[in-house]
Amino acid sequence: MTERLSPPSLSRRHLLIATPAAATAALATTAGLRPARGAGSPNDGGDITFLIDSLGGTWIPNNSAISSFQGHIWGHVTDKLIYVDADGKISPWIAERWEQNDTATAFTLHLKQGVTFSDGTPLDAPAVVANLDIWYAGRRNEGINPIGLFPKTYDHAEAVDAATVKVFFKVPTLGFIPTLGYHGSILISPKTIARPAARQANLGKTSGSGPYLVDSWKEGDFVRLVRRKDYNWGPPAVGHTGPAFLDSITYKLVAEQSLRVSAVQSGQADIGYSPPPLELQSLKEAGFTVATPRYLGFVNGWAINTKLAPFDDVRVRQALQAAINRQEIIDTVYTPDWKLAESFIQSNVPGATDHRELLAYDPARAEKLLDAAGWTKGAGGIRWKDGKPLSLTLHANPYLATSKAVGELSAQQLGRIGWKVAIRAYDVVTFGEKVRFNSPTVPAYEVTRSFIDAGTVASILTDANNGEDWFGLGESDPKINELRDRIAGAGSARVRDPLLDELQKYVLEQGYFIPLTQIVQRIYVQNPKLKGEVYNGIAYASYYTATKSTA
Amino acid sequence: MRNAYRAYAAKRLVQAVVVILLAYVLTFVVVSILPGDPITSVLRDPQNGFTEAEIQEIVAAQGLDKPIPVQLWTSLCHFLTGDLGLSMRSSRPVATLIAEVLPSTLVLASAGLAVALLLAAALGYGSQFLPKRFGQGFLRGFPALFLSVPNFVIGLVLIHLFGFQFGFFRVLDPDSVRATFFAAIALGIPVSAQIAEVLIANLDHESRQEYAAVARGRGLGPTRLFVRHLLKPSSLPVVTVIALTIGELLGGSLITETVFGRTGIGSLVQRSATSHDLPVLQAVVSLAAVVFVLVNLIADLVYPLLDPRVKLIGDHRPRPAGADESAADTSGAVTP
Repeated sequence: MTERLSPPSLSRRHLLIATPAAATAALATTAGLRPARGAGSPNDGGDITFLIDSLGGTWIPNNSAISSFQGHIWGHVTDKLIYVDADGKISPWIAERWEQNDTATAFTLHLKQGVTFSDGTPLDAPAVVANLDIWYAGRRNEGINPIGLFPKTYDHAEAVDAATVKVFFKVPTLGFIPTLGYHGSILISPKTIARPAARQANLGKTSGSGPYLVDSWKEGDFVRLVRRKDYNWGPPAVGHTGPAFLDSITYKLVAEQSLRVSAVQSGQADIGYSPPPLELQSLKEAGFTVATPRYLGFVNGWAINTKLAPFDDVRVRQALQAAINRQEIIDTVYTPDWKLAESFIQSNVPGATDHRELLAYDPARAEKLLDAAGWTKGAGGIRWKDGKPLSLTLHANPYLATSKAVGELSAQQLGRIGWKVAIRAYDVVTFGEKVRFNSPTVPAYEVTRSFIDAGTVASILTDANNGEDWFGLGESDPKINELRDRIAGAGSARVRDPLLDELQKYVLEQGYFIPLTQIVQRIYVQNPKLKGEVYNGIAYASYYTATKSTA
Repeated sequence: MRNAYRAYAAKRLVQAVVVILLAYVLTFVVVSILPGDPITSVLRDPQNGFTEAEIQEIVAAQGLDKPIPVQLWTSLCHFLTGDLGLSMRSSRPVATLIAEVLPSTLVLASAGLAVALLLAAALGYGSQFLPKRFGQGFLRGFPALFLSVPNFVIGLVLIHLFGFQFGFFRVLDPDSVRATFFAAIALGIPVSAQIAEVLIANLDHESRQEYAAVARGRGLGPTRLFVRHLLKPSSLPVVTVIALTIGELLGGSLITETVFGRTGIGSLVQRSATSHDLPVLQAVVSLAAVVFVLVNLIADLVYPLLDPRVKLIGDHRPRPAGADESAADTSGAVTP
């Protein structure tokens, strides 16, 4: 039986790729070419269907909030304390205002009053404290995980009165406020939080305070959300605070990529998630709305393991940096919607600076660096040193559909200057087991990670304070150590920004991180009748403000 | 006779329990050997940013770092008391998950079986009575054709043709009657091939018998001859084949469900297999073993009703006297 598991999806894909020509012809006469009507007054009502490649695993809020898939549903069912827009600008939401002390170790949040969860519980200070506590600690023996990127420096929080919360940290934590707008920081009713894990996993019984309620759901199939009529506390930044316009949103799992696109083309669905990037241009030309929002976070690129030879040699890393033709990646694998990397963090992150000159394609320089490092060209154009070929094993990141294609193109580029590149592709589970930062078999870990606050970078640089040590440096690079401590300890953005700039320059110069492109992990193709959706700082689409014309 | 039946049934029941337990243990061992589990793979999502030390700590807090034999023993004890446990992937009770998806699979499998039986009967009828010039030989080639076209290909063609092109059914509403009908066709076609093969061979055999010649001599039309005289004696080995195709139906529904986007046992298995969700896989495999064993048991017990010549002989196995020996030998999974 297991032998028959894998072939269908493969062959099916091939068949589906072959057939759309006929399908497109039929579709062009129906939905595709119908012109979109000019927007009049927002019309209330309407139902939309969002086709998604997965609905994740568990629905325990803490374990699923950061999921690239489930995050869409949580974004409609729950609210956050802070709103972060696509440019990383933070603005009030459930927290109307906030103050911090000079050292960024104590924060006071002033909450909006009159907000309730869908089970009737008020969203007040004690409820916020309960959420902060479970984000930080989870309930590990029950299988409720902490929120991954919630500051590990959290000490405790207390409710001063019904609408005021004081939050304390062990050390300066400038990133706290932005993190409240991160997709992990969703506010859940304390009644739900108090339940055991197995009952939290029942999405239908979970209460948030968001503009939509879970009407019905079936695991691995669909989630249907309906509008909450008394909702009146949307984020002012999106220009609307009352109830949502659309009556219902149905997230329907359709695992097959081309089926999602065909269904939107034929008018059977309104939004298709993760269409193939190379189809976007023709979809646009056929009149469909295409969205490629960038999230705030790291760019797509390789974190280099400096413990592994030959990447312990700075010249080899610099050669790698210069040998990648980033423009060719965008031209070949992506579309002009993708942007060149300017640093190792996305250019829309506040604090990101432009270092494109360090990422220029310069194969001559790369060859010179490799020559100087003692890697000489041998038979077949491969470089050798001490009887060993210059090799690099890439592991395609299963969280990014285009990863393998980008890897193959980079392999060609590197091959031209004498690099022998192998590519391995694993499924998500095996990848998680075998491919890790600075593991002895992984010279380059392909990064796909969002964050809200640039201060997060301090936690990946070294192994100090439980850091992730992406580059395998440990404490060996004093300059990195110094920048890490000063960034982590900064009490204001004014102090921190120059330090971040210095760090970005240094990491790129040293070839610790090899950026490929700015990442677009969430791609949407949409029926042009649907308008007014908003993409937040983590590139999730919110249909809270959206309307659908019936014409 | 009745005592022999009871002893036979009891023996088969014990064998069934052993098969199910073995299936349970084997699933555990196979899945445990594979690297990774749903809990750590969630923790290792790059969005989470947990360090290896934190992951190990969380895993240990849930007792997942215990040795495999200990975990197997715990899970087996729960299983024997009827507790299927919680899914590692979704944290929801396994029994709930199965109850959620079982109806959809039952509907599809029975509709698929109905399609397969109708098709097989039609092919059988045609193989005997369709005039040669209208392609009887061609028709006889159908089972081989059906068997060699995988059902996902049939499914995709049906979806594109009838779902997208002609709009006979909504692809996004796979549980609707119309969509189920087309899914049942995709599932039923390959299954019908095996049944038709055996049916045609037996019809050929029976129609050469003297009683058939006599019936024809009495002026019986093809339909009456087929239904009243040929079908019953020809269907004895077919019952065995139908019982065996239950496996095909279960396996085929897994693929058909994926192709048509139905949420049934198939999609549950697929999700659980890709994430190595042990408790769900064990429960589903045991369930499949139960179904398979039961269906074959029923098939064996149905024999005497179809053919009075079937006797329970010394070793308590039913043997259709005079019928094709090879058909009897493949009569079930529990043949020792």
